[in-house]
Amino acid sequence: MTSYVSLPMFGANVDERLRLIAGKCNGCGQLAYPQRPVCTKCGGDQFEDTPLSGEGSIYTYSMVAGNGAPSEFDDEQTMTGDVLCGVVELKEGPRVMVRLADTDPEQLEIGMKVSAVVRRLYDQEGIVRYGTKFVPQKS
Amino acid sequence: MVDVAVIGVGQTRYGMFPERTLKDLFHEAAVNALNDVDKGLDPQDVEEAFVGTLSTGGAQLGNFAPLMMEAAGMIGASARHIENACASSGYAMRDAVATIASGQANIAVAGGIEKMSDLPREKNRLWLGISGDVEWERLAGTNFAGIYAMMARRHMHEYGTKKKHITMAAVKNRNNALANPKAQFRAPLELDRAMKAPNLASPLTFSDACGITDGASMVIMCRADMAKSFTDQPVLVVGSGGASDYVAIHDRPSMTALEGTKRAAKRAYDMAGISAKDVDFAEVHDCFAIAELLAYEDLGFCKKGGAGKYIESGATARDGKRPVNNSGGLIAKGHPIGSTGTGQVYEVVNQLRGRADTAERQLPNVRFGLTQNVGGSGAAVAVHILKAVE
Repeated sequence: MTSYVSLPMFGANVDERLRLIAGKCNGCGQLAYPQRPVCTKCGGDQFEDTPLSGEGSIYTYSMVAGNGAPSEFDDEQTMTGDVLCGVVELKEGPRVMVRLADTDPEQLEIGMKVSAVVRRLYDQEGIVRYGTKFVPQKS
Repeated sequence: MVDVAVIGVGQTRYGMFPERTLKDLFHEAAVNALNDVDKGLDPQDVEEAFVGTLSTGGAQLGNFAPLMMEAAGMIGASARHIENACASSGYAMRDAVATIASGQANIAVAGGIEKMSDLPREKNRLWLGISGDVEWERLAGTNFAGIYAMMARRHMHEYGTKKKHITMAAVKNRNNALANPKAQFRAPLELDRAMKAPNLASPLTFSDACGITDGASMVIMCRADMAKSFTDQPVLVVGSGGASDYVAIHDRPSMTALEGTKRAAKRAYDMAGISAKDVDFAEVHDCFAIAELLAYEDLGFCKKGGAGKYIESGATARDGKRPVNNSGGLIAKGHPIGSTGTGQVYEVVNQLRGRADTAERQLPNVRFGLTQNVGGSGAAVAVHILKAVE
């Protein structure tokens, strides 16, 4: 199955996605992640690239039942069944929708500390697409 | 502004119709609506047409509206396609109202259609996942069930809402649909059984979701001062509000409210000069059961966080103080994406005229009815308030 996230579209925000680069508003200092063209706080449109720590906590999550996720995840769904997704609130403030990994859904809870790792998402058009997944922090 | 009245409404039965075409379905909705104009209307007198659809997976991307108008026998009208995901025909309704209110046209129609059964399952997943923020939400592997599930989990966390409160909305709507001959799912559902349904996207289960549906609907409107020449029972569109919000839920300050609904409802209430307490009944966008609970709060039917207790009180049941989704809602009447907004208006107009298709589900003494139609997970919302003419 083809995806609507084309390779150029994927490539355009690879720094944000894999290196967790946020935009810091030159006007008011608010962080935008994912990056956006206009600051939601002051309306400014000039940002400075700012790397995030990759640490955060689970804000909410869901176990999407097998074959419910978008079709580019079909190979994975065939192998593992369900797909675990959630919203992570990053230590620096912004929230982002992500894949969760290396955990049992029964052990998940809101507030649990997680950190970012680069993982394979799926492959398409003969090219592996990497992305960021979040895994529980080792205590 | 010119006052606007509904003079005819039509809707196909909602369901799976593999043998029928888009043209055939839209034609039926249009004939239904034209026959509903008691004193008759020449289809050629329709000046402006707004057709809502998500294009049925790309089956007809260009010139969709002229093709549907052709099927409706309304050839020549100025027609265009309106798309705002699942709120497409709620927005078609808004634009049709606006074109009459502005004085640009005397007679306009809003319609909607979708035919989802023709698409293979993986194509449906491809297609239905495109109304979120694709680069971020889609690549996190979630679908809309997952997005609403994440809102449900936050609501449970922040307000102590229980899973059973969420599923109660689905059970109510499924049982309401039993008396609706145009509903898709007409089999009873009990709370115990619904609670044991398989996981869809935790905490939501299969019972908490709408299905795959085919269907079409149409609303014919005119200047209110012309309405009596078409029907003895016009219904006034007294409020129309629309609003948008951040598309991705992670960008929203709160995940337990749809700001789009709150903004659109305020605009509609202000235009109508009423408040939530004046609304006698409503058709709301229960694509997933949690969405109905959020709608209670966002429309002002109950206090923030109180939706669980509100549904448990029976207030929104057919015999409650303010029935919600008496038709069966999206969960049981069906959710043919592009048709949903005008399909909700079809239901409200018939109730306000005392013409519900079965006596069992006619609501007594209703004056103001409200519709809430949501695109995606709340990125676009259209709210309408309709009023019976005494």
